[in-house]
Amino acid sequence: MSGRDDRRVSEPFDLTAPPGQHSDLPTDESGAPTDHGPLADPQGRGRAESDKLDQYLLRRYHLHGDRKAREQLITMYLPLVRSLARRYASRGEHFDDLVQVGAIGLIKAIDRFDLKRGVELTTYATPNIVGEIKRYFRDKGWSVRVPRGLQELNIRLNKVIDELVPKLQRSPTIKELAEAASATPEEVLEALETSQAYNSVSLQASPNGESGEEDAGLIDYLGGEEEAYDTMEDRTTLAPGFAKLDKRERYILHLRFFEGLTQSQIAERVGISQMHVSRLIRRSLEKLREEIGDLDRPRSDRAPGADER
Amino acid sequence: MAELIALEVPATPSALSVVRMVIGGVGTRLDFSLEDLDDLFLAIDGLLQAAMEAETLERLSVRIAPDGADLRVAVGVFESDRLQEQIALTPGGRIDLCTLLGRLVDEVTIETVAGDNDGFLVVLLKRGSGSGM
Repeated sequence: MSGRDDRRVSEPFDLTAPPGQHSDLPTDESGAPTDHGPLADPQGRGRAESDKLDQYLLRRYHLHGDRKAREQLITMYLPLVRSLARRYASRGEHFDDLVQVGAIGLIKAIDRFDLKRGVELTTYATPNIVGEIKRYFRDKGWSVRVPRGLQELNIRLNKVIDELVPKLQRSPTIKELAEAASATPEEVLEALETSQAYNSVSLQASPNGESGEEDAGLIDYLGGEEEAYDTMEDRTTLAPGFAKLDKRERYILHLRFFEGLTQSQIAERVGISQMHVSRLIRRSLEKLREEIGDLDRPRSDRAPGADER
Repeated sequence: MAELIALEVPATPSALSVVRMVIGGVGTRLDFSLEDLDDLFLAIDGLLQAAMEAETLERLSVRIAPDGADLRVAVGVFESDRLQEQIALTPGGRIDLCTLLGRLVDEVTIETVAGDNDGFLVVLLKRGSGSGM
């Protein structure tokens, strides 16, 4: 988003006029620009019209800081993200997680889109979305050698957990998981333990081993959870170490440790899998530990310039 | 005599993996849910992380004892007064060790160890909530 205000691009639309008054934009019955994406165009709008709407919204966002235009673009292009994520869904990661990761690529593409280059947003966004998904797979590669059978069982368990949680309305037991995954409880435990290797969380793991903004989730950008964030901000922004976390990590830790929600309840509220919540909690705690550990030290032992919070 | 599984392991990630497997096995017998076990593992990770910041830790003593439908896990032997103070704090508006343990397990107690290896164990009690919920 940096440099957005510095751009000087000729504007084919009167950006001060209400949306319905842009005669060359596709509109709905109320006269507002329609928001159907390039892959979902029930009104049969042509490619050229879609591009015009894209350009209009991109200009609204980049030249005028119109956040609603940005959100509309994100919504319009989510079908593209889903379509691309579907190609990778058979590789062991949750489809929903891939959509979230792909959406981050989309948002980056929208934010970094250069109006002067004259390319279509679809052309620019597609490699960004695919690149983000591929990076996700690369970053999540197995960090130690894990037998293929266990990797496959782990992948199967992820799916089984997602099916069982809503069905049972609680977290499944190991025996239930074993039955559903056609494995023994020992195999399930072993496979779950290997997920530690998969996620590379250990006593020696670097608290800063993850890339903060890079792996933030879709809700960090869309603003759909903003109200919920606001209600918790008063309490948690002052909590030591929280400044190191992104919004979603703060929100999830707040729900778990201040509100007392279970992982399954958090998963339902945030819209991600329970296993993903578990991973995020672990990662966030790793980040907090370094910060809080420093604050717990006597003042004389702290690094010079360490904040007093 | 109540069942007790006692492990003496190096304080390394690979040994902790073995500890988790054993706890998981006992938890499975007690019909612990996936989340219950994950909470317990997170609590142990958090405790050990804090312990290693407070003192040099080369070996771990872990005692796993089913208690009806509950699971009691004692970890130590620690010597640090600071660690003991951290556990004894009242949970406040921060996610420190006492808040973490308070949310992840149902009871935290300190058990003194006397003899050749003086110090204390931190005993974590996790109540089972598996299929009975």
